[in-house]
Amino acid sequence: MKTTTQDEATVSEELAQLSVNNPNLVEMDDPPPPQITSEGIITTDITHKFKAAASTLEPGELIKDGFFTLFESVGSLEIMDPKMDSGCLAPGESLDEEYDVTRPLLPSEVLGIIDQLLCLEMAWHLGYPLSQTLFTNVYIEAMQMPSPTTIQEAHFIRSDDNQGDGAAQNPMFTVLRAYCLGLLKACWYVNERIKSEHYYEEEDFVTNTYHRSLLEDIDRTEIRDEILAARRLLHSIRHEISEEVSQALSLRLELRTAFLRAIELSELRSNPDSLSLPWSQMKAVWAAINKSHHLGKPVPEAFSTKIQRRVASTMPPRPIVHLSFEETFKHFNNLLEDGIEVLKVLNYHDPQSLLNFVLTFQAKKPQPLVYIRTLLQNFLFKDMVILGNLSIRQVLDADLSIVVLPGSRLLDPANDAVEAPYDPRFAMAHQMEVFRQRAAQSYLDIHRAFCQNRCRVRRTLCHSIQDWETVQIDAEDIDQLLAVQLEEQPMSYTTTLTSSSEPALSLPLSSWAYLYKLRLMEWIVQLGFELETYQPDELAGMYWYLSYLAKTRAQHVERIKAFTVSRYNEKRIAGTSKVTKSEEEQHKRSLSYLRVTLIDAAVTWELADGLSCLYTVLHRLKLIPTYPGPYSSDELRYDIRMKPFSTVGLPELPSFETFKNATAQPDTSTADLLTYALRAVEGAKRGFHDGLAVLNEKEAFTVGTHERWVARTKNTLKSVISTSIAIGAVQRALNNNGENNNKECRDDVLHNDLKVEVPKPDKTYHEWWIVPKITVTEKKKAAGGEGV
Amino acid sequence: MPAAEQMSRGEAGDFLQSLLNKNLRVTTTDARMFWGGFKCTDPESNVILQHTYEYRHPSTQQLLLAEAVATTGNNNNGTIKMEMQSRYLGLVVIPGKYITKIEVEEFASQLPK
Repeated sequence: MKTTTQDEATVSEELAQLSVNNPNLVEMDDPPPPQITSEGIITTDITHKFKAAASTLEPGELIKDGFFTLFESVGSLEIMDPKMDSGCLAPGESLDEEYDVTRPLLPSEVLGIIDQLLCLEMAWHLGYPLSQTLFTNVYIEAMQMPSPTTIQEAHFIRSDDNQGDGAAQNPMFTVLRAYCLGLLKACWYVNERIKSEHYYEEEDFVTNTYHRSLLEDIDRTEIRDEILAARRLLHSIRHEISEEVSQALSLRLELRTAFLRAIELSELRSNPDSLSLPWSQMKAVWAAINKSHHLGKPVPEAFSTKIQRRVASTMPPRPIVHLSFEETFKHFNNLLEDGIEVLKVLNYHDPQSLLNFVLTFQAKKPQPLVYIRTLLQNFLFKDMVILGNLSIRQVLDADLSIVVLPGSRLLDPANDAVEAPYDPRFAMAHQMEVFRQRAAQSYLDIHRAFCQNRCRVRRTLCHSIQDWETVQIDAEDIDQLLAVQLEEQPMSYTTTLTSSSEPALSLPLSSWAYLYKLRLMEWIVQLGFELETYQPDELAGMYWYLSYLAKTRAQHVERIKAFTVSRYNEKRIAGTSKVTKSEEEQHKRSLSYLRVTLIDAAVTWELADGLSCLYTVLHRLKLIPTYPGPYSSDELRYDIRMKPFSTVGLPELPSFETFKNATAQPDTSTADLLTYALRAVEGAKRGFHDGLAVLNEKEAFTVGTHERWVARTKNTLKSVISTSIAIGAVQRALNNNGENNNKECRDDVLHNDLKVEVPKPDKTYHEWWIVPKITVTEKKKAAGGEGV
Repeated sequence: MPAAEQMSRGEAGDFLQSLLNKNLRVTTTDARMFWGGFKCTDPESNVILQHTYEYRHPSTQQLLLAEAVATTGNNNNGTIKMEMQSRYLGLVVIPGKYITKIEVEEFASQLPK
């Protein structure tokens, strides 16, 4: 069916291309006078006959070509419908651009136009198409159409014959032109950068340039020279136009050169300090630009949606995006700050710090703009070289060394040089390479995923789970083979969380994969809170699941630690000479990492546990709004929420019964639940004070992003404290009703006495911790006062 | 309405059928012309054209510009010639209420003498 319509289409297209049917040859009959080129074609006016004939048709009757289906007609453009027909003009509207680009401009007008262009440029960065932003400007359009191939042609006033034309030489035109040159070239680089990395078209950004070149063919050095010349010109005429305005214009030109320079340098991917110079320069200039905005005189006539009719798109004109200068200022400031900060990723220290950098940088609110995010991707992955000078193997091996294999023979680069196939080192090198091939992509994908917008991060992680599941399984096979080569003996271990285990192998590679998989699962749940995926009445259950995952992670880290410690001890007992200084340092670093991870997991587990219990209590008191869904049941919803995890073998997905029980805890009294919740939260608090608060950047594995990490950690601590306050408030209300023995009656009283507000994620201290705000109602306060 | 245009239903249907897949030039109230293959119509004279091009008369601004060029040139004989601006649209439906003129193209050689 589909193929036949396609064939038809191609046949009719071919027919259309036959010279007789070629529309380009058909001339019109109205003024200008008819010139029928093809003598063989005659046109006949059939207006009346046609209309009369059509009117005889029954309602609903159609005359149509047998091969034409109404299904096809759905895709047709409706002429004269202003929402569809881009050629449709309002009464009295003309297609002409009334604006004359050669009209003289006042310096303040040029300033006004430039500031408007700044707003539109930012709107483009925020995700609006060029057609609704920069391409609505008549100067930009005139400069780009027809497409210039040399710097001389790139002018909105083009006159080939009169080079010395006064109009084109007007100093204000020179300034505006230089600004537009710098702007368009920067847009070209930004657009190319975004296109070359992973982003979501129309969701994050629109890369369509509507067949405008954005000065692709013109060299940036030529543009820089033009801008410099314009600035010199401004300097020389500063007394003729006011000094203030001249200064303001010059600053805007400086912004353009600095932006181009920043882009140029970012391609180097090294030496972040020198890379950040133009960004810092822009930031200083930007502050000054904001102060001189009032000097400009807006020229709204220089912007028009009519230009959209000429861009290669059948979309009808859509309105110009108006971003206020205040908003633009804020966004630009963020862009510049993020631009400076993102360069710090190039100060590579260790892979865990790198991951933490990406995690905390992307968790910023508002999230960095798509250009900055693609810049980060470019730094990270361009040409499969990490941060400009590291191989994927270097990063991966360093990560394995930190997490599971400090000072291990498996990571010895000398193994690669062994050529004897019976040598265990030969087998080790081979198996490790198999593993790297298997795991590297999944490992890098975590970083890439976090460079996307927040909703996409969560979606992508949901898909990656399956991937990590298989990495873990494959790694276990490799682990078994390597254990033979290392002559490893199974060992039983005890930790604080688990009693003694059956003797087991250390399985370092699959342990590594499992740890990442667990972190992925936690992130998915946590991002669920951040993105408001869960309704308030689901919070008890989801925090319970989060605590379940975090507890599993803590147990797993303890297991890794047990093997790491025992391996180290074995080595030491075997003879001190065998432990080199570097090995000892690697061990220390690994233990330090395991400690942070353990504390982090424990804090997450305890806080989630405490919150879950609190929400259970609030649920019992009917203080959490529930939404009646006629087609929904708790079990169906559970299936949906757990869908990303349903394919995961370990940790096993709790059954719905277990989940329901853990969420409702019917056998525990409300008072006991609150006591338990408070204890859990106190535990989390201790984790901060004794553990996380005292770490320096090397111990926390946050080199380069420590400040941001500390701020985030503090916000979690604030969440811990506000949770304990909330628990305390409910406890007090409960104790005040201590004399009331009838449980149902007491719950009713509490229900009336307390007011609960579940805040939106952006109103919390930390968007992953939705802590309810509990207040005692006024009525109760008054009653309490009387009692005293 | 002239008697000649009082067609029977059968004749009317035959006439419209005979136009199918011929190239029509449909002019709308805003003086644009659409050139394309006739595919379908209904009692309201809504017309569907395939592989349609839109033609628009030059704007007054462009006419003035062309005039200025023509008058400065040497071969000024008082008239100027301008191409219509065209644009490809593809499949379009033109509501009957906006149609001011319909013309059909035929090969001169195929017309009855």
